[in-house]
This record gives sequence, structure tokens and C-alpha cells, in this order.
Amino acid sequence: MSKIPQTPLSRTSRLLDLVPYVSAHQGIELKILADVFEVTSNQMVADLTTLWMCGLPGYTPLELMDLSFDSGYVTIHNAQTLSQPRNLTIEESIALLLGLDLVMQSLPDDRKDLKTMATALIDKLSLRANLPSPLRAEPENDHHIKSAILVAISSKKLMKIKYHSLYSDEITTREIQPVEIRTENLHDYVWAYCEKAQAFRSFRTDRILHCEQAHGSATLTGTTADKVSAIPYSLKIRTNKREAMERFNLSKAQMSSKTTSHAYSQEWLIRSVMASAGSSELTEPAEIRAEIAASAAQILQKYGKS
Amino acid sequence: MSRKIERLINLTIALLATKRYLTKKEIFSSVDGYEGSPETKERMFERDKDDLRNLGIHIEVGGFDPAFDDEAGYRITSENYQLDIGNISGSDVALLSLAAEAWRGAALDEAAQSALIKLKSIGVESDLDAIPNISPQLRTPNIDFEAISQAIAQRGVLTFTYIGRDLELQNRRVAPYAISTRKGFWYLAGLDLEKNSVRTFRLDRIDGLIQANKSSTRYEIPVDFDIVNYLENVGESEIATVDVRKGKAHLLRIHALTLVDKGEWDQMTLSYQDQSRIIESILWHGDDVLVVAPQELRNGVISALKDLVRSHV
Repeated sequence: MSKIPQTPLSRTSRLLDLVPYVSAHQGIELKILADVFEVTSNQMVADLTTLWMCGLPGYTPLELMDLSFDSGYVTIHNAQTLSQPRNLTIEESIALLLGLDLVMQSLPDDRKDLKTMATALIDKLSLRANLPSPLRAEPENDHHIKSAILVAISSKKLMKIKYHSLYSDEITTREIQPVEIRTENLHDYVWAYCEKAQAFRSFRTDRILHCEQAHGSATLTGTTADKVSAIPYSLKIRTNKREAMERFNLSKAQMSSKTTSHAYSQEWLIRSVMASAGSSELTEPAEIRAEIAASAAQILQKYGKS
Repeated sequence: MSRKIERLINLTIALLATKRYLTKKEIFSSVDGYEGSPETKERMFERDKDDLRNLGIHIEVGGFDPAFDDEAGYRITSENYQLDIGNISGSDVALLSLAAEAWRGAALDEAAQSALIKLKSIGVESDLDAIPNISPQLRTPNIDFEAISQAIAQRGVLTFTYIGRDLELQNRRVAPYAISTRKGFWYLAGLDLEKNSVRTFRLDRIDGLIQANKSSTRYEIPVDFDIVNYLENVGESEIATVDVRKGKAHLLRIHALTLVDKGEWDQMTLSYQDQSRIIESILWHGDDVLVVAPQELRNGVISALKDLVRSHV
């Protein structure tokens, strides 16, 4: 259950933090205490037994810490020296500061009181940790969408969503039955059965503009997996290689003089080549290459006219 | 293993409880667990000091008078050891709990949880009813926060290999100021020591490991440095006027400053700082977006389109 491998140091650290925690939560159930420290109950008993042997020099019962846990409930006495929590480490401070910034920005606008409170905590922690420059974390805007999806997944209910599909640049309304939320490259996607497509599709949660519960449940008549055929393509990348690598999602190994990869949408491929503004050239397939040339020529004409 | 842990805890207690500095001799005779020859005890003590320092416990050395050839003494002050965050309320603890929970499964999860345990040990119960039911999450794939946070804390220097615009590998030495997320990416801002000016780095463009080194010259993080402002204001803003086909270019519409209905098209204004970036977004939308002004941006788009035609016919 313990996530980190036990070292004498990690155990010492935990034991030092156990004393103030138990001091502040006298009579806490052993099982709960083990959960708080993310260890097994047996490990917790071993930790408490070790602590029981510690105290001020002299080490008579007068100086040793007085622990009791046989009843399944833990109390500690005679532990004044260690009873105050330890200072935060720099990593702990950074974790809290970034987390607090995210929380502050995620709070609803009508909770100015809590925003002020969070700002005061950030100021206090930054000062203590000697981190004058604010650490900032940007919240995602799709939190309420994700909560609704989770509800739909657990209740197996249909949802009606308004979705911006990036490649076709269209906003469509669909009924979906969400199956799970997946995270890839910093973005969340909901994997769902789409009534409109009669197949499973994945939707990026931050492109779901609106969602509500729909009536009924999915028909699930389509294929279980979406049969999309991959389009093999080749690129010649002239300049801005890093940008091309990120735009076309290529690995370093693919960045040779002639780059080959697969696209799952012709629209995406055309838009991506257009957006690379001439720094990447699509060499294959020939018909898409011709389409890009035609499309660019047609837009040029529009500029010529005006 | 237990013996060593007991000794470390007993040493911490003894050094915290003492008002004056304790000499090694006093430590060896009074603290339980120091056994063996004088050399063994000496070695044990040196290791124990290092271990406690690694746990973030600062041991003060002092109390000796070189004129009298006195021995050095050691102690831990409660100011250094204890968490001092002043008065905090149940709502504060609830906010801090949310802040720690935001790291679940992400890079600083462990640090966040151990921080939370310390805060909960102050003895103030979390007042979860006081705050709305939100659970924001942080995402941090493969980011070496440890090196970065150590360097920020110790005002150290980070060295890493950065992938440049044409995939050339650049060796960078940076005095880090702050880190931030923006549009789904993590950024590091700091003083680039070769260029002697402030730069930002996208963390996913760092190739390989980040090394934190002690700095030979101490630097200060400017008090008024705000990474978000810095990322948002890299250059002077310009205003573009574009025609956008109705029902299209939703990505650009979100950022419209003004919008005028012109029938089949809408005319929008957009603010931009980097001309090549806005050209990319305009071209992504094909013939659904046309630049009206400024002329320089129009020329940029026209020249990119000519390049596209030339290379694809």
C-alpha cells in the first residue's frame, strides 16, 4: 500500500510528523491514522512501537514519549518537544502555492471572501518559503462539463452535447453515451458512443461547449470501434522544425529529411499544412498536395480582388 | 533499521530540547544509540547530521570560542524546526486541502500530501462546508519539479538542453524565477545567464534531465516579477481586423475584441503580439478568414500563401 520504498529517512520523516499529528488528534483510530499516512495498519503499529522507544536523554519513563495504541485508538503524551508540526520543505511549499493559485482561480466569482482568503494564504506561504515571484497555475474551464460527464458515466445516461469539432470547424449537437474520460497530452477526452455517428468517438472535453442530460439510453447499434482509415503522408520540413514536430505530433526519430507519418483526418492534414505557412511541404499523397495548392491559390485570388 | 531511526529521532529531540549548544561529547554520552569506538561514533554522527539536513532539519553549529580551542556545539532552534504560519481558520485548512488534492496523481502529489499532514497537525479542523464543491486538478506529465523547486529555493542555477526552433540543441544556464501553466503547457521563467536577460522556456521542450547546481554568484528574484504578465506581454500588442465567414472559425471568435455583422461574413478585431503565430491561425481556417488590416499582416499572409502554392504545385 505504501507508495514509496521504505528508507530509514522516509520512515524517520514520517515518525517526526506522526507525533504532532497524533498530538492534535488524540484518540484517533489506528486504521484512520494509517490511512492518513498512506501505510498499512501493521506498518503504523511498527512506527508507533519505534516512537515509543524515543524521548529526551535519560530515557526513563519520565523522559520517553508515552504512547498508547493497544485499544485500536492512538494517544500520545509527554511529547512536547516534537508536538509542533515541522516546517514545510520547499517542495511542499511549491506544491501548496501552485495548488492554491489553481484553487483561487477556480473559485466562483461570487466567492470574493474565499478568493481573498486564498490570496492571503499565498502571500503568507510565499513569504515563509522565500519565494517572492508568484507561482501560477491556470485552471481548466471545463470542470462543470467533466462533472456532468462523470454523472452520465455512472448513471449510464445519454447526454446531449454541443461540440466544436476542430477539423471541420463546425459546431454540432450530438447525443452521446459517455464510457470513460481519458487523458492524453494534457487534455481530457471523453470516450463515448455517438448516436449521430452510430459509433464510438472521442471528444475533447474543453471543446464541449454545452451539455445536458438527454432522455433515454444509447441504442449501441453501431460498431464498437470506429473504423477510420489512416492516411499515410510524407512531408518535407524546411524551417521551423520544432514547430512542425509539435504540430504534426512527430517523434524526433521521424524528423529526417523526408518525414512520413499517418493522419486520421484529411481536413486536419490540409489545415496543418496550410497553418505551417510554407515551412512544411506535403509531398504525398499527390491529390491532397494538389488540393492544398488549389486552396492556397483560391485564397490568394480573394486577396487580389479586395 | 529501527535503531537508526530511533537514534535520529532521539538526536532531533535532544538538539531541539536544549537551550545551549551541545558538544559531540555530550551528545555521545547522553543520546541513546551512539555506540562503539570513538571513530564509529564520530562517523555515525556525521551521517546523522547529513540525514537530518536531507530531511530539511537545520542544525545550527556554534557556541565555541576559537581562542580557547573549544569544541563546536550543535542545536536545532524551534524557529527553524517548527511550522509557523500564524493563525489559520478551518476555511483556510479547507482551501489548503483542495490545493493539495489538486496534485492527486501528479508530480508533487507526495509533497502536497505531507504538507497537508503538517497543516492538519496544527489542530484546526478543515471546514469543508465553507467552500464550494470544486476539485480542480493539476497535470504534470514527466516534469522534473524537484530540480526546479530546489533551484528556485536555493537561488541555484538550472542547466538543461533546450530544443530550439530548428531542433538544434541549445545548452542553457538559467537562474529560475517562477513556474506556471498556460494553455495546457508548463513554463519556466528565469534569467538566462548567457544572454543576461529574462527568458521563458516551455518545459516539454527541454531535452533530457534538468540539473540544479549551486550558483557561484547569488542572484535575487525580482520582487515584482509576475510570470503570467510576462508570458502574456512578450511584445507590443497590435490589432488585426479580419473578415470571418458566419458559423466558422470558432477558435478565433473566442478572442474577438469587437464583432460587426456584415451579412455572410462578420468583421472582427483581434489582438496579437506575434505576427507569425496569428498568420498560422488565420491560414488554419483556410478561406473562412481573410485579413483586412493592417497591411503588414495582409502581406505576411499573402506571402505565406504564395509559398504554399509554389511548393505544392
